[in-house]
Amino acid sequence: MTKDVLTESANHLSQACCETIEEYKNKSSLLVSKMNASMLKKSNLINIVGSDNIEMMKDNHANHVQFISSILKYKNTAVLIETIIWVFRTYRSHGFSIEYWSVQLNEWINILKEELSQNIFDEIIPYYKWMLLNIPSFVLLSEQNT
Amino acid sequence: MNQETEKQALLRALLKGSRENASQVIKQFIDQDHTIIDLYEYLIKETMYEIGYLWETGKISVATEHLASAIVENLMNEIYHLIATPEKKEDLAVICSIENEQHQIGSKMVSDVYEMNNWNTRYLGANTPKNDLIHFVKSINPKMLALSMSLFFHLPELESTLQTIKKELPGLLIIIGGQGLKHGSQDFLKNYQNVFYKPDLFSLDSFLKTQNQHD
Repeated sequence: MTKDVLTESANHLSQACCETIEEYKNKSSLLVSKMNASMLKKSNLINIVGSDNIEMMKDNHANHVQFISSILKYKNTAVLIETIIWVFRTYRSHGFSIEYWSVQLNEWINILKEELSQNIFDEIIPYYKWMLLNIPSFVLLSEQNT
Repeated sequence: MNQETEKQALLRALLKGSRENASQVIKQFIDQDHTIIDLYEYLIKETMYEIGYLWETGKISVATEHLASAIVENLMNEIYHLIATPEKKEDLAVICSIENEQHQIGSKMVSDVYEMNNWNTRYLGANTPKNDLIHFVKSINPKMLALSMSLFFHLPELESTLQTIKKELPGLLIIIGGQGLKHGSQDFLKNYQNVFYKPDLFSLDSFLKTQNQHD
């Protein structure tokens, strides 16, 4: 899949309303904390993120909620795609497995469902489903850019 | 401008951690009649992007990246005598990176461009807390404030800072720049009066020269 096709699909994602942005942002510390706790419980974590990468994983989770907050507020398809490619390339280069992306995104979806109001969750979930669906494309594009 | 040879020489020096070699490369570049802005835009910026790419691709560590940044900041201090002008205007500019933004080489370059245009500057560095910045700006009443943001996800902090400053000091001219505003992310700035996006040092320099003509 090319960037153009990704862009076309990402253009269908809607800009979030103020209430959604606010709730996501206000709960971001809780979301990150639950995410880290959930990942740290995984017995195969080292296989997923690589050795000596726990702190880098936590950094990624903290950056993730900040980034998604910004994307929800200032929807920018080019930034969304370029940043995900950058993240895939960078974290893969530092020893994270491809599996990390699907494990991480599925965890986020579970935590968001638990912690966000239903209407807020419904507005945000298309972004997560879009990222999850397009993991193979992002892997490919991040490898092409190396 | 193609300065691949100099860029590779500077890259080698930074990766080796040799301030002396890096200083030599900078000196030779300036001796070839390049301007300080050429040096910043074409040599230092491009080389630092390459350093960033080497970290992204796992070829160098964070420690090596920090070493390169520290050397570059020292080199910028070394050439300050070429930047400072004897005749300063009375106008004052405050320059900094916004709250939570840890990158500061870009805002330091911006500060130097102001100085080369005879401005008095107050350069506050990286990660300047919003409330402290506002108190400081109100206390010295500058003509311009330049804010730098390197990461897209600091956009909410930038907008929050702008909103507070515009409420407290509506007439203040504000310049915004930095890598975090690529791909059209600066579009929201159109909602603010007297706020100008400058994508690089050349455009900032032109803007300041135009301002000087109006004085």
